[in-house]
Amino acid sequence: MENAALLWLSVLVFLPAAGALFLMLPIVPRSNPEAIKRIALGVTLATLVVSILLAIPGMQESSFSFDPEAVNKMQSVFNVGWIPTFNIEYFMGFDGISFPLVLLTTFISVLAMAASWPINKYVRAYCVLFLLLETGMIGVFLALDFFLFYVFWEVMLLPMYFLIGVWGGPRKEYAAIKFFLYTLLGSVLMLIAILMLYFKSDLKVLAESSAIDNGQLVAAGLVTDAAQADAWRAEMKASEGARHTFNILALQLMGQHTELFSRPVFGEGGYSLQWWAFVLLFIGFAIKVPSVPVHTWLPDAHVEAPTPISMILAGVLLKMGGYGIIRICYPICPEAAFDLAWWVCGIGALSMVYGAFAALAQKDFKRLVAYSSVSHMGYVILGIGVASVMYGGATSYWSMGMNGAMFQMIAHGISSAGMFFLVGVVYDRVHHRELDKFGGLFGKMPVYSGLAIVIFFAGLGLPGLCGFIGEVLVVLSVWPFSKTLAIISAAVVILTAAYILWTLQRVYLGPEYKGPHGEALTPITAREWSIAVPLVIFAILFGVYPRAVLDYMEPSVSQTVEDLTQWGKANNFARDDSAEGEAAEVSLERRAEPAAKPAAPAANREARVNRPPDHNLVRQ
Amino acid sequence: METIPTLLGAAWLLPLVSFTLILLFGPRMGKAGKAASYVAIGAIGGGFVLSLIALFQWRGIDEPYLAGEWYTLAQFDSLKLTIGYYVDTLTVVMFCMVTLIATCIHFYAVGYMHEELHDVTDHEVTLADGSHLTRPGRFHRFFQYLSLFCFSMLGIVISGNIAMTFVFWELVGICSYFLIGFYIERKSASTAANKAFIVNRVGDMGMIIGLMVLFTTLGTFNFGDVDGEPGIFSLVRPEVAHHDDHAGRDAAASPFATVALAPKADAGDQSDHHGDHTAHATRPLVVPQGMFDAAVRDRVAAGEEATAENLEAWQSSKLGYGLLVIAGLGIFCGCVGKSAQFPLHVWLPDAMEGPTPVSALVHSATMVAAGVFLVGRFYPVFTPEVLLAIAVIGCFTLFMAATIAITATDIKRVLAYSTLSQLGYMMFALGVGGWVAGMLHLITHAFFKSLLFMCSGSVIHAVHSNEMTDMGGLLKKMPITAYTMLVGCLAIIGAGIPLVIGLSGYYSKDAILAQAMLFAEQDENGLFRLMFFVAAGGAAITAFYMFRLWFMTFLGEPRDAHRYEHAHESPKVMTYPLLVLSFFAIFVATPLTSLDMTTAPLTAALDEARPADDHQARTAEDAAGATWLSIPYEHDSHTARIHTQAGLIAFGTAMGGLLLACCIYWWRLVNPREVADMFRPIYRFLLGKWWFDELYDRLFVQPTFFFSRIIAGIDKNLIDWLIDNLAAGTRWFCVGFDTWIDRLFVDGLVNWTARKIYAIGLAFRAVQTGNLRQYIVLIVVGTVALFILATFGFAG
Repeated sequence: MENAALLWLSVLVFLPAAGALFLMLPIVPRSNPEAIKRIALGVTLATLVVSILLAIPGMQESSFSFDPEAVNKMQSVFNVGWIPTFNIEYFMGFDGISFPLVLLTTFISVLAMAASWPINKYVRAYCVLFLLLETGMIGVFLALDFFLFYVFWEVMLLPMYFLIGVWGGPRKEYAAIKFFLYTLLGSVLMLIAILMLYFKSDLKVLAESSAIDNGQLVAAGLVTDAAQADAWRAEMKASEGARHTFNILALQLMGQHTELFSRPVFGEGGYSLQWWAFVLLFIGFAIKVPSVPVHTWLPDAHVEAPTPISMILAGVLLKMGGYGIIRICYPICPEAAFDLAWWVCGIGALSMVYGAFAALAQKDFKRLVAYSSVSHMGYVILGIGVASVMYGGATSYWSMGMNGAMFQMIAHGISSAGMFFLVGVVYDRVHHRELDKFGGLFGKMPVYSGLAIVIFFAGLGLPGLCGFIGEVLVVLSVWPFSKTLAIISAAVVILTAAYILWTLQRVYLGPEYKGPHGEALTPITAREWSIAVPLVIFAILFGVYPRAVLDYMEPSVSQTVEDLTQWGKANNFARDDSAEGEAAEVSLERRAEPAAKPAAPAANREARVNRPPDHNLVRQ
Repeated sequence: METIPTLLGAAWLLPLVSFTLILLFGPRMGKAGKAASYVAIGAIGGGFVLSLIALFQWRGIDEPYLAGEWYTLAQFDSLKLTIGYYVDTLTVVMFCMVTLIATCIHFYAVGYMHEELHDVTDHEVTLADGSHLTRPGRFHRFFQYLSLFCFSMLGIVISGNIAMTFVFWELVGICSYFLIGFYIERKSASTAANKAFIVNRVGDMGMIIGLMVLFTTLGTFNFGDVDGEPGIFSLVRPEVAHHDDHAGRDAAASPFATVALAPKADAGDQSDHHGDHTAHATRPLVVPQGMFDAAVRDRVAAGEEATAENLEAWQSSKLGYGLLVIAGLGIFCGCVGKSAQFPLHVWLPDAMEGPTPVSALVHSATMVAAGVFLVGRFYPVFTPEVLLAIAVIGCFTLFMAATIAITATDIKRVLAYSTLSQLGYMMFALGVGGWVAGMLHLITHAFFKSLLFMCSGSVIHAVHSNEMTDMGGLLKKMPITAYTMLVGCLAIIGAGIPLVIGLSGYYSKDAILAQAMLFAEQDENGLFRLMFFVAAGGAAITAFYMFRLWFMTFLGEPRDAHRYEHAHESPKVMTYPLLVLSFFAIFVATPLTSLDMTTAPLTAALDEARPADDHQARTAEDAAGATWLSIPYEHDSHTARIHTQAGLIAFGTAMGGLLLACCIYWWRLVNPREVADMFRPIYRFLLGKWWFDELYDRLFVQPTFFFSRIIAGIDKNLIDWLIDNLAAGTRWFCVGFDTWIDRLFVDGLVNWTARKIYAIGLAFRAVQTGNLRQYIVLIVVGTVALFILATFGFAG
């Protein structure tokens, strides 16, 4: 099992990198860019095939399993030592949260590579960087070791910088450096948080904790099977000094079941370590999402990036922020997540409104689509955020919100990649993106316009298309959290309709084309058609059969919610005596903080007082 | 019994099949896609036949409704988003009505849209070079959209839960968008399409809020009970069965207790009672447990203690009732948007940019009626306060729209405002407790309004103009159109012999006014009385503007000789549907066996579909416990006294309006110009459509754009300014660092050292003279010095 997983996941991650290496060999004809693109496309296709083989249950030993025992846990986990001195491991696996994103990555990569045909400058370098980028992206989603995660995160950053900076538009240097610095800032903050967590982590505490059963140790990849767990515990207990780890799953266990990260960093009474870690990680991920106010790299990067890179950027890269928040921020730092729920939700709602308003004012087609991404990714943050205040309350609404956020990421991956591609199609023909200088494309490019209208309506959140499901799940789950935010998020549907319909009117409708190079507006080619049509098909499929995605992700997401709920019940709902006793049973070593303490230590802990009082309800 | 949902489901899906086929193979269907119309007609016609079969089967079923789920979109624990069905008499009747009218309109559209079979020169679109646009025809695309629309509309009707309603609500919205903007080259058309969709979205926002409240407090979207799980209706109105009085009262009066003790205990109970549903079982409106719990949570969050006494006090003060009101208002918001009620009415008149068959089907008979339908469907959940809001909005709309219709000259816009006004009547009827009256008017209106629109289309088709100022005297040229339209006009004004017999509109309008009268009498309140008078007066205005339209179009001298010359009766494919619809416009609500209108098959069927309620007035109390609002029970308006009075008032006002129209536009006793001049400010106000478009533009549209520019400005001028300055600052710092620290300090130090060493070297160079004697002296001095050092230094 482990060997098969090692093999398959390594192939999945490093196949594109191997392709990149191959392209650098001298046997590849330098003078034939067409052949190089074909090879690169072949590599992305092969990667897609590998990921599909893993997606079909029972296809491989390490394929995704819908077995009720396994479906909500990490699957195909393998764990091999890498740098033993610092306990860094080559540790990967997937679950319902990461796997759909891996599929999205391989799928969008194929389409983006196919969309790279118009690129004629330094083709070999382009393809090499593109493939390296793909390795980085897949690696981020599969890595379960925090250090490995960080390495892949950085691997992704550099090719992206060059892809924008070399193959971009007129202001490419500005956009590329802006992208790089923003993201680098995020990475640095993340690195600090990683090191903070690493040096506070201690597997010994985990081994000694009675709250952790052997099954959880196996699930966290610390031991291969339950039989070895006791030996492992004994070994850990015997070891001297703290046993640090980068294992994300083990860190999650520590965050939820031990006190390790709960102590203040700067003296008594200050914020806890996990509060700081959460803030640093969240800023890092929010830059990637991107959320207002750290979003301004996105419009510039999109406007200057070549079409396929915009597709990757919007389709995949933005998802890493959301993925990081779900996988890392919340499970490792649940207490901070709870305290900062209002901030997270506020940022989500702000991004939704801000992005929509900004989109309404844009005159550049690509900038408009970029701001729509800001708005749509706001739903993701909001959907994740609303969850955290419902600890112990209506778990299913929270689960719905988080599932909605995850679904929104996939849906946005389809629709935004599609939108950027469709903008690219006209840009390739008329070499401008001025919204006011289009019009009448429906008459000249009917098939293209039809496809475009479907994709844009998917972005608008029309029922029957992918955008609707995620939005509606998120929006419905907001009401129990905050009525104000719920009303704001409901109001965004008006703005979204306004900017999308106005765009459609200016670009596709109308009697005639108003800009330059009108003669170049020829119907789309077979290559373009075959890129747009799969996106349209998936936009429709996910809209009418959302379970195609939800069946994969729902058990894992709900498990995350369940874990956090358990944590919440054990800690934050210990209000009356009986519940406190229960909490004490669940985790002996935790401080059972009387949560209704009138004087919360900091202003932003007010959220804790506002939590749903379910225990009181049942108490009578 | 289970065949009925299947039949209706098939009728619902047939247009989807047609849509898909035309989408994929449309242009290849026959010559220029002509066969696409056959596919679409086949689908909707088949749907009509299936609906009829379902109607006949339905008569043999004595369940109040059938509900179930077909398909689950997403599920999280017990929370589900599903596609399901809720079939009651209303569903079946609506299915028959929608499919019948849609079939007629499909036939009609074959004739009306025939131009689209070949290249079209659009005279309303002028290109930059001054020529008119010529484009390929889009015949098949029109039918493709029509099929999608029928599918979406039937989806709303059959919908088993409010979320599914919302899904199809949006889909009809988008069909409407495509159909209004069918002439995509016309700026006015695409703007009108955008306006329709965006204004509807404003309503949808309210609807989403309603959905949130319902879903997060009740945990279900289903209307009816499915598989023993109670739906919204049973939760809001639990059945109080008489043989088990105690349990029933518990469930009704003390929701909290049932939550705490046994959350689902009454659910199973309910389905048991369901079988022995009797007319005597009452279903009073209660605050569902979920809403009470949610409200308690808010109270506790606000710092109050959930002690036993407090809970009891909250229970008796109906805590959570506010949520029920919000949910009701939210859902009604959606209906306001879709049914174009004030203040979201502005999109409907502009929607007339679409081809006339679309106006007939989408923007008068079916889609805009969906809002009224949803109010009817959701009726059990509305509290008296919400009903009052519905009544007030409906009443205001019916008056406002009617006044604007007086001055409009575009034949389709007159009809559009008339549609607004009639939809206002329906809302008003529902708001004052007249469920059957409102629904009856929905059905009758669908027939006569689609008839009127199709007649107007026939006229437009003949004279190629929408303006009534280009028409006149067309009676001779197109008699079938003229007489069928006369039927439509008579039906809409509610013509008939008072208390004896009349056209379909006569029955529905009478019922509305009777209910309004009862309402006005029951609550002795100036506002309620005013609302009755407005509704009665509206009947006069209706009669006036409808006959103004008919006289201006068909009587008198032709105003435009050229257009008159070319006018001709429409082909049979267009006139036959007119005849079919006129038949229904006359007879659809006629009682067959007696003069009592309630015995008409349609009325009786609707009465059967009336939402289960407590068979008495719905009342609302103020804080002191006094009843301040009472929505009367509909059966109470069936007394002879009220009916006679209301019938005579309706007849009198309508005849008054008709007479006035005759005076001005037929007998020409008064010149309309002079009347307009006499009331110039009012005339301008009405001609300006009460200035709503301008007001909204100032109030909402411009500020939104302004705000969006500010936001974009913040990005560019604040955030990016900060970022860029940060970058510039960093650069400046680096350069400064380079200049000051590196160059001056570090380099300076190095250079200084170098210079010093150099200077020392120079100094020493002075010593190096090349003079041998000097060297010898130095060597000697040096040796002596070393010697002294060695002797004294080391000896010590």
